Amino acid sequence: MGRLTTLPAVCAAIPALVAVGFCAAVFGAAVFGSTPTFWQGGPLTLAEAAALRDQGEVARLIEAGADPNGEYALRPDILAVNRATPLEAAVAARRPEIVNLLMREGATVDGPAWRHLHCVAIDIGAADVIQAVDAYRPETASAGSCTQ
Amino acid sequence: MTIAASPRFCVAICALLIVGSLGYGLLQVPLQVNDSLQKIVEAGRSPGVWASFTSEIGTTDFRPLWVAEIKLLFDLSHGHVHIAYKAFHIALLLAAFALFIAALRIETGADVAASLFALSVLVGSNTFTGLVKEATPVNVYLPIVVLVLLAMRLSRSPHAWWVDAAAALTLIAACLTLESGVLVWVALVAGRVAGGRGVSDRALLCITVVVVVYLTVRLTLLPLDTQNTSGYLAERLEPEQIRERFGEGFSRFSIYTVLASISSVLFSEPRDGTVVLLRAWKAGDIPPRMWISLASSVMTTVLIGVTAWRLSGSVTAAAEPHRDDMRADFFVFGAILAASAVVSFSYAKDVIMSAAGACYALVAFWAVRDQLIRVRRVGAAVAVAAVLLITSSLWAVRVISVQHVLRTQAFAFHNDWATMRDHLPDDPAGRRLVLGLRAEALSKPVINPWFIPRWADRVFDIDYF
Repeated sequence: MGRLTTLPAVCAAIPALVAVGFCAAVFGAAVFGSTPTFWQGGPLTLAEAAALRDQGEVARLIEAGADPNGEYALRPDILAVNRATPLEAAVAARRPEIVNLLMREGATVDGPAWRHLHCVAIDIGAADVIQAVDAYRPETASAGSCTQ
Repeated sequence: MTIAASPRFCVAICALLIVGSLGYGLLQVPLQVNDSLQKIVEAGRSPGVWASFTSEIGTTDFRPLWVAEIKLLFDLSHGHVHIAYKAFHIALLLAAFALFIAALRIETGADVAASLFALSVLVGSNTFTGLVKEATPVNVYLPIVVLVLLAMRLSRSPHAWWVDAAAALTLIAACLTLESGVLVWVALVAGRVAGGRGVSDRALLCITVVVVVYLTVRLTLLPLDTQNTSGYLAERLEPEQIRERFGEGFSRFSIYTVLASISSVLFSEPRDGTVVLLRAWKAGDIPPRMWISLASSVMTTVLIGVTAWRLSGSVTAAAEPHRDDMRADFFVFGAILAASAVVSFSYAKDVIMSAAGACYALVAFWAVRDQLIRVRRVGAAVAVAAVLLITSSLWAVRVISVQHVLRTQAFAFHNDWATMRDHLPDDPAGRRLVLGLRAEALSKPVINPWFIPRWADRVFDIDYF
């Protein structure tokens, strides 16, 4: 290869080799049994999974024994609160599909809990979330004003 | 510059690392639910591979070999369905990369540089993404890319009776896999016109008869339902909207779709027919990933155009020892590009253009190599170096983007499995199978997009539709 060819050849090859290096790092980490950094997330609590529309993780955690009615910690930058039930997290994060999933996976709401969720949904003003919560209104729940 | 190992071996190692990382990504992605689960359940119900093959006769899709593959892999899996389908997907990727590297003329250090650039173009192209993100449960487009590259290889190999036989089998396998399989015929004919002597004229005639029979049967005897969701300028139209706005059959929309398909290979726009750049501009925010895609493709297409223009002139074989090979590859690329676009007349989908995308990467190799070996002055060398550094860097980002697309795909598929429990098959065996697949899919940890930095979605390419 002539001397004049070397510079452009190196310029063409180096970025491609960086991409190959990235692929090698992913592949190498996998071969040696660890999760490549690029593919690493982190463990989520059930409330976090609900807030982050992670339906797969919600189903996985519940089917692995997590209580769908329990209260869980939330990382500070997910929602404005640091503890919530999965349903509260789903409503606060405006995730009607997660509300439905949680109810199908065994979450339950009594009158006061439903009213709390209903009022949070009204407070955030998301019609689809209100509709999702209202679909699970217990017969015993009162429909009083949320301003009380 | 001296390279101790064989230049081709160096490039092959790089390709292997890329396939390895893609393979890892594929294994992290749960099996697809939409357009896939039903086929897996049907494979479980089918009494055998032949029954699956024949079940496709008379159907709208008519992809008997593909359905038979799904059944065969299901039977071979002995319950490890995820691994079986993913392993086959990875094997197809390996075959595609092996044939791609075999198609490159790698002899010198400059060839290695051009090959690495071409590998980036192959993987980073928007036509490639669909080859890894779609798995229903076997990607139906990847076999066509493999078979088209194989046809190109056969066309330029020395003639032998077995080459004729292999060409015929390649075509039959392609046509029984997907309608785009006729691209194998295009590759064989274009290769012959461009000077390839591997496949005899008699064999080519027989193959042409097979194609005519296939197209006649496909277009006249089998039901056709070719309209699908597709883009039009900044919009995305449903089949009913397309019929309502443009009418049935051949229309202005068909012309747009053919041109859009060609443009998607050359300029990475539109995507599946939609000019996503225009859509983003209308929304008031064009993320860097769109500029990266457009700039890398435009610069590469310009390099290809310059080389094509030079080749179309009176270049002598003495001045350019590989002139005939270059011309042949450029000619085949043009033919595959045009034919793929025509195949897409009904609706635009980038992955339909994936064989053309592979050929685009092939001619990108020649274009970069041409620039490298023809540099004569210092000023020109610096200018070429700058252009190649920028272009190659942009393509490198696009290569990493493929892993990003797989991450987001894994999250989407994981979620699909969570919500499908209300749609279980009625029969106990099917129910058991699906619940087992669901449990396996959900048990795989996937990365929640919350853990991915916000800039990644703006820089790395995404799944637009």
